[in-house]
Amino acid sequence: MKVLVTGGSSLLGRTVANLLVARGDEVVCFQRSASGSNAVDVLGDIRDRDELFAAAANVDAVVHLAALVAPKAPWVDMVAINVEGTRNALNAAVAGGRFVYISTPSVAFHDQASVGVGALAADYSGRDGYARSKALAENVVRSESTIPTVILRPHLVWGPGDTQLIGRIVDRARSGKLVLPDGGRALVDTTYLDDAAAGIVAGLDHCVAGDEATTLPLVITGGEPRPLRDLVSSILEAAGIERMPRSVPAPVAGLLGSLIDRVWPGSEPPLTHFAARQLSVAHWFDQRETRRILGWEPTVGLDEGFARLRAAFATSSDSGHS
Amino acid sequence: MVRIERPNEVDVEWSILDTGDGQRGTIVCVHGNPTWGYLWKGFLETLSPEWRVIAVDQTGMGWSERSAPRTLETRVAELVAFCEQHTSGSLVIAAHDWGGPVALGAVSSLDVQAVILGNTGVGLPARTAVPPLIATARRFVDFSCRRSPVFVNGTAAMTEKRHREALRAPYQSAERRTAVAEFVADIPLSEADVSWIALQKSANNLSNLDVPLLLVWGGRDRVFHDRFLADLLQRAPHADVHRFTQAAHLVPLDEPMAAIASTWLENVLGPKSVAEQSAPNSPSNDSFVAITNGLLSRANDDEAAFTDRNGVVSWKSLAHEATDIARMLMRAGLAVGDRVAMLVPPSSDLLAASFGVWLAGGVLVVADSGLGARGLRAVLRGANPKWVFGTSKTLTAAKALGWAPGARMICTSRFPHAVSLTTHRSSTAVELPELRPEFEAVVVHTSGSTGPAKPVRYRHGALGAQRDVIVESFTMSAEQGFLTSFAPFILLGPALGVPCVLPDIDVTKPAELDFDRFAQVIESSRVDVAWLSPASARRIVETANGRTTELRLVMLAGAPISTQLASSIAAVTGADVRSPWGMTEAMPITDGVGATTSVVDGTNTGKPLAGAEVMVLPLGDSEPQSLSIGQWGELAVHAPWMFDGYDQQWGTEKHSEFMLNGQRFHRTGDLGLIDAAGALHQLGRVQHALFMATQTVPCVLVEDPISTELSRQVAAVGVGPVGTQVIAVVVQAEGKLRLADARTTSQVRHCSSFEIAAVLEGELPVDIRHQSKVKREVLAASASQFLAGR
Repeated sequence: MKVLVTGGSSLLGRTVANLLVARGDEVVCFQRSASGSNAVDVLGDIRDRDELFAAAANVDAVVHLAALVAPKAPWVDMVAINVEGTRNALNAAVAGGRFVYISTPSVAFHDQASVGVGALAADYSGRDGYARSKALAENVVRSESTIPTVILRPHLVWGPGDTQLIGRIVDRARSGKLVLPDGGRALVDTTYLDDAAAGIVAGLDHCVAGDEATTLPLVITGGEPRPLRDLVSSILEAAGIERMPRSVPAPVAGLLGSLIDRVWPGSEPPLTHFAARQLSVAHWFDQRETRRILGWEPTVGLDEGFARLRAAFATSSDSGHS
Repeated sequence: MVRIERPNEVDVEWSILDTGDGQRGTIVCVHGNPTWGYLWKGFLETLSPEWRVIAVDQTGMGWSERSAPRTLETRVAELVAFCEQHTSGSLVIAAHDWGGPVALGAVSSLDVQAVILGNTGVGLPARTAVPPLIATARRFVDFSCRRSPVFVNGTAAMTEKRHREALRAPYQSAERRTAVAEFVADIPLSEADVSWIALQKSANNLSNLDVPLLLVWGGRDRVFHDRFLADLLQRAPHADVHRFTQAAHLVPLDEPMAAIASTWLENVLGPKSVAEQSAPNSPSNDSFVAITNGLLSRANDDEAAFTDRNGVVSWKSLAHEATDIARMLMRAGLAVGDRVAMLVPPSSDLLAASFGVWLAGGVLVVADSGLGARGLRAVLRGANPKWVFGTSKTLTAAKALGWAPGARMICTSRFPHAVSLTTHRSSTAVELPELRPEFEAVVVHTSGSTGPAKPVRYRHGALGAQRDVIVESFTMSAEQGFLTSFAPFILLGPALGVPCVLPDIDVTKPAELDFDRFAQVIESSRVDVAWLSPASARRIVETANGRTTELRLVMLAGAPISTQLASSIAAVTGADVRSPWGMTEAMPITDGVGATTSVVDGTNTGKPLAGAEVMVLPLGDSEPQSLSIGQWGELAVHAPWMFDGYDQQWGTEKHSEFMLNGQRFHRTGDLGLIDAAGALHQLGRVQHALFMATQTVPCVLVEDPISTELSRQVAAVGVGPVGTQVIAVVVQAEGKLRLADARTTSQVRHCSSFEIAAVLEGELPVDIRHQSKVKREVLAASASQFLAGR
């Protein structure tokens, strides 16, 4: 199968591309800069329809991961990249006949805890531009698609080399700025990188007409929820950091987030209301449907994942010293 | 809208909610005042499409036509006309509130195969005042019911918010409320009222009703309260009753009345009536010896029968006292089968009173203080006692708190208007009735540690069999005797004919029994057996400090016991320690041997006693079939000494029992397995199992290895929706629920073979009565809330 992966320079995009290459698929990665994967790179911007169509010529499927994630990016950019870019990717996939869209459980987040729920309706319309644009894009895919389409929502993907989640936690902990709402008591599920990639590949394989996977969005997670504190301390332990985060009452974190939302000038605020809420309440999901439909299960999981993370940190600090 | 035609009368148009044809037949639902067809929402949704369910709006009510005032007689005639003109075949009639008299008035003119009633009445029960709400409404009827929406809004306010708008919708203006006021004004309270005769006819129809009748009752209705239920039951003793202790007036909206009605209809109208199959166990008459025999057989014995802080009572005086009380009660009018609520604190007075009631043919209603004041009120009202037996103190409380309204009082001392033990004595001999095995003997209550307390009814046959199995299995010595920290167990003494000692502790605080008090009782009396609650046993062990005392047998009862506790109490007493498995509904079931042997799988409770049968059932609603050795499932039991049924809990009773080979089995709600040696291991409660995505596991199997490793008490609870739960382990510690420290967390995760999502620390909530059953549903709720964040 010949597959176009958009957003190949992201950790998850690169891992998906490599997994497909490893099993013998012909893979093209499409993004603005080199992906660093084992696939063929075609550089370009998903806002540019022509570039994208050229890259997608003769592919059998498009796996669309490219997105703008910055919390406070201008809304016009969010729409252009996350909504219009997705529409472009969907259109580019029509000739090949399969489209896999990588979304996020945040499209259904409403400040409330998600406790063992399935994939809820993508109706987020709050202040967070990323979640709002991803919800819009998911609805574009659902309503405009004329070919078999699978929508997957991997939840909090992490692994060695991750600069988004792990990187930020470690950086803040090192500088003593990491705080957890209510001591990190909320039960949170995450997905180890390789498990998420395998789930996406399973989604691609199920992206055929008539398959149940094409009928509803599916949340992909590791299925091992832990209190946020336990996850963070495992990450810090792997990074060799002994300093533990401080606790702040959840309502205070929410207020702080709201305040920062209003006054922070840049696009990378230290905290947003949305992030504060996401860290304050539980989110873990009923995975029975996902696993039944995709015939996929995580094989790495938390314990092994943290071991790999520790090994990766050890290697990087060794090389740092040398 | 449908038209109702009656000869020589103006036609009237009724609004109805009709689900359309149903295979099983037609159910016509009649609302009261001031509700309308919406009241039967649950019936319309649940019982269709099998049944055609029609909820009518009576004339002038709901969305039906407004017309001239209606008397009860007219309303009955209209209902009959409606059924004749708009339904075919035989009917089931459901009614609520003042719809009850209308429906009952109609049943004699219709082909009715079953009747279902919610809270209603067919007249004021004897010695009952007009309910204040109705009295007030009547006095200011025009204002409260028509001109203002007070009555309509007040009724709507009794149920959940989501129903209120619908209930009020048809009654938005004074004009539309005219019939509401007329309905209230038509309530006949005396012979002078227009509808008095029609109401008597409805009442007579109820008394003559020869089809199945189900009463689904809200126990907290201020208008049609429990005395009305008692009155209905007196008129129609064959009724099946399901009483929701906490429900108010609008029981069809507030409770799953439709679901109960559905099961019930299947039972009473189905191809083979289960009601006939499940006749109560009728123990064979020939071997029956009444429970009172143990006491009476020692009536001439001057030895000590009972000892407590107030001193010693001999067999002779106890027997004499009990017989005296029995005669006095009979003279005061107590009849065989009369229920007597016992509010006498554990003492020799309680023994004399209880055996006195039994000797007179009365039925004990036992409700211990472990239920709390609110629970006590609920269970006493539910049992509908005709008599209340108490001390001046408890009777004052009963009166002030309305525990048993309308019941006659019997007092151990003097009390206004009460039959008094001190003044109503007389020497005239009264013949005491001969107790028969089928006589009702006692209503006791489950602890309520896993859901609301349930009233458990026993007959004399079962009580006799229970005494026999205890005598045979645990060889109690008539010369030596036993001590107990579990107050209700003192009744066993006179029943067995074995002396009993109640140590000097607050009976609601079994943990007050420390080693010193325990040893003092053993040294100062001849007891060689102790029945201890786990809380007492734990306290005795904690306070022994290396000292020992000597007993032959220690029985631990009330909650699952850890091997460690059993071994410790064995070390302190040198006794054979048993922890038999049993429950309020059937006790004991196993011999309790093996309490001190360490096992992996839960609590070893020993082998089933001769005569008891235990089945291990797979979870779920499949046909009852026993699992094989070593496999765990829900435990079901049959024993000649098991309970007769749940009192006024028709739905609960049906749900908990099944017939197999002609024997009635009780689903216990306990999980367990039977090992290769035939011993029964208890594994906690079904509702405490952890229902995860890949497997279901009894909580005990998760807890045991962890508590062994940590040497601390732990509880494992499921967090999240059933079927995709994750495990939270809570380690006992003082203070509020919180995340456990990193060391404990990793210790727990390492020693468990299950995926533990979260490890918490905090106070484990325990039940009041035993102080040792962990209320896991409470804990699960607080752990879930904690882990959901905020």
